[in-house]
Amino acid sequence: MTRNFDMVSRDHARLESRAKTEGKALYTDDLSLPRMAWAVVVRSPFAAAEVTGIDFSESEKIPGYLGALLPEEVPDIYYNCSGNPPSPLIMEDERILTTTPKCAGDRIVAVAAETKEAALESARAVKVNYAIKKPIFKIREAFDANNLPIEAHLSDSNVLFARQVTEGDIEKGFKHADLILEDNFYVPPVQHLPLELTACICDFSDGMNLTIWSNSQTIFQERRILSVLCGIPENRVRVIKPTVGGGFGARQQTHAQPVCALLSKKVRRPLKLIYSREEEQYATTVRHEAETQVRIGAANNGTLCAFYAKYVLNTGPYTTHGPTVMAAAARKFQYKVPDYFFDGFCVLTNHVTAGAFRGYGNTQIAFAREVMIERVAEHLGTDSLELRIKNHVGVGEHFPGSTTPITSCQIEQCVTLCEKRRREIDDAKGLIENNETKQAWGVAFACHGSGPSSKEGLSAAVVMLNDDGSIQLLVGSADIGQGSETMLAQIAAETLGITLEAVNIIAADTGLTPYDTGTFGSSQTFICGNAVLAACRDLLDGMVKNLNRIYETSSFAFREQVFTGNSGKLSFQEAAEKIFFHTAGGVTIGSASYKARSCPNPFAVTFAKAEYHKKTNAVRILHVIESVDVGTPINPLTVKGQIEGGVAQGVGYALMEMIEIDPLMKKPLSSDLLHYKAPLFGDIPEIDVFIAKSYEADGPYGAKSVGELVTVPVAPAIVNAVRKASGQNITSLPLCKQFLVLPSTQEEE
Amino acid sequence: MYKISITLNGEPQDFFAEEKESLLDLLRERARLTGCKRGCDSGQCGACTVLLDGMPVNSCCYLALQADGKSVVTIEGLSTQPDADLIKQAFIEEGAIQCGFCTPGMVLAAKSLLDRNNAPHTNHIREAMAGNLCRCTGYTRIEKAIKNAAAQIRKREGEL
Repeated sequence: MTRNFDMVSRDHARLESRAKTEGKALYTDDLSLPRMAWAVVVRSPFAAAEVTGIDFSESEKIPGYLGALLPEEVPDIYYNCSGNPPSPLIMEDERILTTTPKCAGDRIVAVAAETKEAALESARAVKVNYAIKKPIFKIREAFDANNLPIEAHLSDSNVLFARQVTEGDIEKGFKHADLILEDNFYVPPVQHLPLELTACICDFSDGMNLTIWSNSQTIFQERRILSVLCGIPENRVRVIKPTVGGGFGARQQTHAQPVCALLSKKVRRPLKLIYSREEEQYATTVRHEAETQVRIGAANNGTLCAFYAKYVLNTGPYTTHGPTVMAAAARKFQYKVPDYFFDGFCVLTNHVTAGAFRGYGNTQIAFAREVMIERVAEHLGTDSLELRIKNHVGVGEHFPGSTTPITSCQIEQCVTLCEKRRREIDDAKGLIENNETKQAWGVAFACHGSGPSSKEGLSAAVVMLNDDGSIQLLVGSADIGQGSETMLAQIAAETLGITLEAVNIIAADTGLTPYDTGTFGSSQTFICGNAVLAACRDLLDGMVKNLNRIYETSSFAFREQVFTGNSGKLSFQEAAEKIFFHTAGGVTIGSASYKARSCPNPFAVTFAKAEYHKKTNAVRILHVIESVDVGTPINPLTVKGQIEGGVAQGVGYALMEMIEIDPLMKKPLSSDLLHYKAPLFGDIPEIDVFIAKSYEADGPYGAKSVGELVTVPVAPAIVNAVRKASGQNITSLPLCKQFLVLPSTQEEE
Repeated sequence: MYKISITLNGEPQDFFAEEKESLLDLLRERARLTGCKRGCDSGQCGACTVLLDGMPVNSCCYLALQADGKSVVTIEGLSTQPDADLIKQAFIEEGAIQCGFCTPGMVLAAKSLLDRNNAPHTNHIREAMAGNLCRCTGYTRIEKAIKNAAAQIRKREGEL
């Protein structure tokens, strides 16, 4: 089916991109308030300890020192920093400040001073005495009943939460299988590494009204959490999101906002608090470390018949998103198996606290699953692409463990697009195999949701008409760099038949914009996009009503971008002017809210080409091709940018990224960008991305999600390529632990 | 406090700076040029890149006092330089900008590269830009933008 769009499914540079090239986009650290001072958090250097004394005498001598916030001065309540809406899985165990630190980087006290330098010096001068306790870091230690429970009020062991999701009879499934393969897989915790540091400015200086500027993905959840912690109603908490320098899930937790707000109240000054890169590395949250045991059964004809996964996530000492991240993985198995058993566990340790991260539990299990499926194909002597397609869930069918049918799926088209490009590359460059080098391709599939799979996504939009035919579009959804404001403006322009320049979007300010659950779960296009679409239709209805009243008729309708009635035709701009200035006119505002009715799955196929150097046991990733079915791409330019960025994060995950614990100091070693390797320019292989022709009936103009999906298949595709090239078994990431990883930079042709 | 003179974005300016003060702190806190970003404060991410006498430096690792008598160009002042707008436009059109936090540093590093080499190969770009970290784009569109800008510069210079 061919659909003609004017404003969507077209490339548009981000609305704010010029401001970003001129240094005019304002991020939190670029803002300042009159009388603003600085705050710094004093953190535990130990992963498990008890504070035995705090001495401020040296800090008090520092010029500019304003005061400190102590653990006994904060409300004696547990909370969860997660930016998800409340749920029984979002258990509460975190304190604003603590005297019993449970991970390195836990907040002990906070100090305020006139300048940043004075605040840092004051923080360094605070003397905290600790009684050091023995930390546990490893998943197996969490299952050891001899270790004391870290959150005793939630669980009497360090197994915080377990969830089983089943379909059919797993024992029977394996009994009928001709081939059963089993293995264990490991992935380490990794950092989001947004370039912008965690930042907030809190003004609670009057003790009555709290205003926060912060790099938040979930401003309305931040408002809810701060309202509870500060003991004031939500209408007196205003959270404003300035330009945000990347999120990837990192900003789906509140970090220092509660302590900064309460310290602002105490010293009666607005305070700015910016993390150091070291704080960013281990005092925020990371992607969960995971151990996955997979058992897979198949018939000789290539039909998958049973899949079992024991999936254990290490959430660190605090719940944050742990149980939901684990449970989200249960319903991402995109192959038909009659007998399915997901056995999930979320455990507590004194490792770095884990939270939401692009992929949300999907990334870790997809690695294990896609590597195992490759092995099944090898054992059966069949092509792994054919095996995947043969077993893939189709439209009208459902994922194992779920009852929701798939509503759109163009996975075969994704394969075709990747295959076409692979052939072109092979025709041009060949696949080298000699005594020294072997090159090979690997593949992987992935799926995700559009919005949280729990269907808790909720958003709203307000469209205010101006007399010149331009509009103000108000949404609560947070653009964190992915380009959602441009995408939403395109949906509004398409619906109203106006130009993109006629849309002014005002977003993510709890004092101005309507509620939005938050920027997470790849929900902006599908959830907020649907809200914008409905609000624009509501505006058109309002304009029709006004025109009917003005012209004393009931004949007006909006068709093909024109209001047509018995008395004639009016363009959008003419109608706006008429409605505003006619004596029978009025102010027209459209509004709508959208609660997720479905969570359509986008799909992705990734091919990776690796080169193995036999003498040095070295690998080089040469090429990654990724094709996606995301429904209609509202802005193909930004969708492609999302895919490429997702590939780069997948390359880092596969090759080099990990948060390591120093065995001697018993705290994270990966405290800066020299000890934590993220891909640089030269680490990135050639990337080709393709968007399949697809249409999702539930989505705005046929759109599904893209953000998280695209990073999920990258690491398993790379691993499958390296397996074939090297002939080595691979069960853990990153590959730099097993191979020498070479930069992807190649000789010029 | 020491008095220093800098030609900042083409204008001679005097500042008082502390001994330990970084050029980044001087630019952000005293000159209020916030286009210069702080990503790590230890020379590992490149977000604070400025041009010092035409060469890119990490201003977080450069003492303000060392800049005395030198020319400093930040993203805010880049438009006064030849081809700067063309480079910025290439970044916009190629979709090389996502969150934008690395963008000022990327654009300045690209400008410096193109001043030295108006026909950079992939590896020249990768080498020149190695100190600038981006977590959003995967670098591919930044590479394309630089090649696109280079082609336009060569065209303007009559080399194509």
